[in-house]
Amino acid sequence: MKSLVVGLIAAALPLATAAQMENYNIDGQHTFPYFELEHLGFAMLRGRFDKTAGKFSIDRAAKTGALEVVVQTASVTTGDNDRDGRPRTRDEHLRTPDFFNVAEFPTMTYRSTAVKFAGDNPDTIEGTLTLLGVTKPVALKVERWKCGPDTVRTQGKRFMCGGNAVGSFKRTDFGMKYGAPAVVGDEVKLWISFYGFRQ
Amino acid sequence: MEELFANPALQAGVAPFLVALFVAIAFSRLRVGGLAAIAAFLVCFYLVTGIQFAPLTATRKILVLAIVAAAIGPLLDFALKPTRVGILLMAGGAAGGALWAFWPVILQKPGMQAWLFGGSAAIALAVMVGFAQAQLASDGVRAGAAVLALGLGVGIAAIFSASLTYGLYGIALGAGGGAFLLPQMIVGKKATAGATFTLPAMLIGGLVAVGAMLLAQLPWYCVLILALVPVMVRLPGPEKAPVWLQAIVFSLYGFVIAGVACALAWPSSPT
Repeated sequence: MKSLVVGLIAAALPLATAAQMENYNIDGQHTFPYFELEHLGFAMLRGRFDKTAGKFSIDRAAKTGALEVVVQTASVTTGDNDRDGRPRTRDEHLRTPDFFNVAEFPTMTYRSTAVKFAGDNPDTIEGTLTLLGVTKPVALKVERWKCGPDTVRTQGKRFMCGGNAVGSFKRTDFGMKYGAPAVVGDEVKLWISFYGFRQ
Repeated sequence: MEELFANPALQAGVAPFLVALFVAIAFSRLRVGGLAAIAAFLVCFYLVTGIQFAPLTATRKILVLAIVAAAIGPLLDFALKPTRVGILLMAGGAAGGALWAFWPVILQKPGMQAWLFGGSAAIALAVMVGFAQAQLASDGVRAGAAVLALGLGVGIAAIFSASLTYGLYGIALGAGGGAFLLPQMIVGKKATAGATFTLPAMLIGGLVAVGAMLLAQLPWYCVLILALVPVMVRLPGPEKAPVWLQAIVFSLYGFVIAGVACALAWPSSPT
């Protein structure tokens, strides 16, 4: 009888742990990865991706978490979408093999390998970015993180987390070599604003 | 120095031309001066993106096919002497190569578009490689003129289609064609082109055009028009005129049809 009780407790332990894990789906309407890089050695150029999906999970007690973000590369925009007498716009150029090669690589993906906490909040996400078929480690620093009920849109019926994360990488590490570094800089700064709804 | 090698004029023009010129002159006695075209392409590829094979993207598959063609070309010239059936096999192989290189991209296109793009790619490659081997391989001037016009045409059309990288590959091929022509114009004697020159050159030109269609925005009909460059260069010309004049006339033939493709590649719609 004693061993049965011990067995039941042991079997229930993983369930208790799993219950601590909160799962969130990324809100594609309010989640945008922005990027910034040097242009012609003068100004910094900014752009973003309009279509992003994914999920994240967090276990506040165990201070662990996971993140997976899938970005539709064809949704890249830098605000230059009017040909204005030119053969193609910059946004069209960004979709070709010179940059994101969207026909061959329609998505880029970020997957976490570890989430480090500072106090009760996630602080640093270690993970890998897969871009143009190349996977390299990229770390994200969580600059802002807040969770609570969505009182504005759902009168508190929906629980969400939101914030900002930043990171950087060299695009040539992923084989994106066009114009680097003289025309378009090599160092890319990422700035992601995100929201996730708890499942 | 790094800035110099990052200059597109050097990457697609000066460096490929000089290396191709060296190959055309140095290897002409061995009758493999036709390797000038692949040499120009490889120099440009190395300077623009670097020679790498993983991950094996469509662009890198072009590189693989070009190297394989450069190995097969001399073999055909010296050992196998292609027959009519052999030429048909070469044309079929080129079409198959195009489908292999771009199959994952073609599969992503909706039904009719996949057939249109896949069909255009296969037909263009078959026509370019088959016709050039059958009709231009024995005439170094016509073959050189065809590669010069095709390379520049594909390059400019690719730039209009938003891919400067593919544009540079095309222009480098044109530089290789020009480098193969120049010694013939100066010496006044036609060189041997053979499959050594025409097979890799036409394959590269065709695949770069297909890449600009599938990965950038080159209209499908421009690829088919570019496939007519070798046909155009075969039209009757001043056969008894000096070699330099023949080279200019046949190049102009090619530029006319390549120019039509470039004009059509310039988009008429605002976005």
